[in-house]
Amino acid sequence: MRWWVAVAWIEQLIKEGGKAVDEVEVYFVEGTSVSADLKRKKLSLATISQDCGLGIRTIHKGRIGSSSTNDPGRWRECLAASVASGKLATPQEWDGLPGPVPLDMTPLSFDPSMEVEPDSAKKLLQAMLDGATKHTAEVTSGSATLSSMEVTLANSHGVRYSDRNTSVSVSLEAIHGQSTGYEFDQSWTLDRIDPENVGERATFFASESADGKDIPYGEYDVLLSPLAYAELLGNVFVPALSGRNVHAGRSRLATSLSERVADPMISMYDDPLLPGADGSVRWDAEGSPTRRIDFIRDGILCAFAYDLKTASRYGKKSTASAVRGGFGGSPAIGHHNFVVDGKRETVDDDRVVYVHNVVGAHTANPMSGEFSVELSNAFWVENGEFQEPIRSAMLSGNVFDLHHAISGLSPASRAIGSLILPSVKINKQRIIGK
Amino acid sequence: MHGISYYDLRHVTGEITHIEIDNAVVESAGTSLFNKAILRVLVKSGWGILQIDNYTPCSGTKFDELLGRAARLAGITEEHVVLGDAPRGTLAVPQLKENPRDVSIEEKSALLAGIEKSATRPGIVNRRASYIERIEQVRFSDSSGNEYSYEMNRSGFNILAVASRNGNVQMGYEREHSINGFNLRHQQKSGTKAAEIAVALLDATLAKGGKMRAVLDPELAGVFAHEAVGHASEGDLIQEGNSVLSGKTGERIGNETLTIVDDPSIHEFGFDPVDAEGVAVARTEIIRKGVINAFLHSRESLAAVGNGVAGHARAMPGEPPLVRMSNTFIEAGDSTTDEIFAECKNGIFLKGSRGGQVDPGRGIFQFNAEYGYLVENGECTKMVRDVSLSGEILTTLHGIILCGNDRMMSPGYCGKGGQSVPVSDGAPHILLNDAVVGGSGVD
Repeated sequence: MRWWVAVAWIEQLIKEGGKAVDEVEVYFVEGTSVSADLKRKKLSLATISQDCGLGIRTIHKGRIGSSSTNDPGRWRECLAASVASGKLATPQEWDGLPGPVPLDMTPLSFDPSMEVEPDSAKKLLQAMLDGATKHTAEVTSGSATLSSMEVTLANSHGVRYSDRNTSVSVSLEAIHGQSTGYEFDQSWTLDRIDPENVGERATFFASESADGKDIPYGEYDVLLSPLAYAELLGNVFVPALSGRNVHAGRSRLATSLSERVADPMISMYDDPLLPGADGSVRWDAEGSPTRRIDFIRDGILCAFAYDLKTASRYGKKSTASAVRGGFGGSPAIGHHNFVVDGKRETVDDDRVVYVHNVVGAHTANPMSGEFSVELSNAFWVENGEFQEPIRSAMLSGNVFDLHHAISGLSPASRAIGSLILPSVKINKQRIIGK
Repeated sequence: MHGISYYDLRHVTGEITHIEIDNAVVESAGTSLFNKAILRVLVKSGWGILQIDNYTPCSGTKFDELLGRAARLAGITEEHVVLGDAPRGTLAVPQLKENPRDVSIEEKSALLAGIEKSATRPGIVNRRASYIERIEQVRFSDSSGNEYSYEMNRSGFNILAVASRNGNVQMGYEREHSINGFNLRHQQKSGTKAAEIAVALLDATLAKGGKMRAVLDPELAGVFAHEAVGHASEGDLIQEGNSVLSGKTGERIGNETLTIVDDPSIHEFGFDPVDAEGVAVARTEIIRKGVINAFLHSRESLAAVGNGVAGHARAMPGEPPLVRMSNTFIEAGDSTTDEIFAECKNGIFLKGSRGGQVDPGRGIFQFNAEYGYLVENGECTKMVRDVSLSGEILTTLHGIILCGNDRMMSPGYCGKGGQSVPVSDGAPHILLNDAVVGGSGVD
């Protein structure tokens, strides 16, 4: 089923733009979201948000211009701003926007039964609160959000794609004495989230992390939860796979193609067509048909990610990795469903420092990979069981180097934003205790 | 109408101009337009909120419909929000020394290119400069008849220089943002400095972690005040029971020389002429002479918690106001920098900031310096890189044993609840005893 409905003003925009420039691209998003927030255990705030965003790109003789607005009624001004912007840009090699290809237009992450209504959000909060009663901890805040949006991409080569997405996310924060716990869940469909479990886990971590013991300075085998691993991977390693950073000299992996950059058990890939995943999409933010990209296969670096602009400039092909931040933002290199995979096994039999979350991963050095983060909800784990909590300590290391020291991936994976990750066991990491 | 006991409407329109230059290539440059509004309603209840894109000011039946929708939303809430009384009034927005509007984007682009070019140097493999200018027209009105409007103009630039040698990749980063007008002229020194630091870091060693004495420069000490004290003093977190400072008003947390302030009224990057719910802004001394003195509040958290000052509600266009910091700083003391280094004797000197984060409920914070130097016998010696600090809010502040006489403010942005707002942080040089320093170096 095709969702495209001819939107007269978009056709007109492309026609008008075509008079001034070689190529025109229009990206239009409209959506509604509903959220409800808890202050302690009471619903204190309910919001309905109606958002829309228009992003225009115009390309003329290799000069790429862009502008955006959240007021589609002002598309003429926005078009003029884009054309003016192109005049300032340095001209570059440009292979052109893509033309249309026959694609199945059935949305991949859309739940038609999702009711984007305040009552749905209220029910989710209640389910989290029910789950939160299982441990001794106070709920401090929580949130449930449902949203639905429609995306339209059109260009002067005849691309007319549209897509629908839904999303739901829940989160809860809890405290017990001076020990805090946080948990969340997200999906495109209500069937795939478990708000009760979120409530149970947030209060579990707050309650069980209390009365932690100090850990002496030293090297330890560490088990990073998907959440903790996502913080380090997302802030440092993933940006180093962007073709733009690679060619600009901002990636430590720039000269490592075909070299070993991780333990041979590790593979990393972006699979935009992964069934059931949140980021699944058939075309990227510039209309290039998506496909799987294998960045790392058995520890060997095989590929970088490209959008049209970077690919054209450096004589590569787009890997359909363009994504847009927010409503109407310009396309940039990103990913859809970024997976870390490899041989799975039990990783919590031997005594290991389990790290549920970290504080301050965004302060890592994205160039060199060096980081020092404070641990959150860290425990000694042995025989698959949480043992005594660890009070407070820093983990210091290098995100690139630690990938060579990975010694195991847990059987289960979890989606953290657009990253789908197992827990990873890493040998001999430095912990600075108090 | 609709049983509404209070409403307010905040409508923000404006334009954003940006320029990005990457290795002498103008990657993108241009202007975008936005129009966002937020309507908040109380019906002897919690908040019912409508966030509206491209809002057209309306009255009569049309506005009444919006109020009705927000009131129905409020109807599903359970909390009875009470709003504290707070003084009203707006401050004048500072006069722009040079209005960015009067400068063509071509000239802005050429000036930025000059800054970018000044980061050229042997060893530098990448230079990236960006300029951002936000002009916002803000209009506020509420059901009590308060109305105000103003225009804010914020602009500034960042320059990043990346140095690389044999797989060792390092960066230097400088930024300057202002509410006082166009600031791209005569700034080549920023590019030169970013490049010098990036190249110097290629030969720096990794810091070795552990407990030691640390001297923090004004920028990093400002981030320290922001992360270690500012967030935990935000009234909404206190109200939720998610701050270690909850219930601690009047308790000693540091020594006599330590006063930490948040002041949205001063003309630094976090300036607001009035807060996001129409309350007059004023200086709040969070810590006065080492004692916890006052929390930062919105009208709601002031009524729920007390012990502090409203006027600290801030919001991005179209987003709900949250209790936020603005210009946060440690007041200057009377020590000279020489005295601070002499007293440090052996330890580490940390400069610049790569940001930080705090868990206010647990009272744990972390932040990262751009670089530093070992201090040996009161002198800076070897350069070190990738060094962070962490600590516990309730104990670390006692470790501030000297405050310098040279306070400076640095602009930046702070994130909370998915919203990023302009702030500035500052301090004099400070000496910190028993600092927990993180770094992956070994002896």
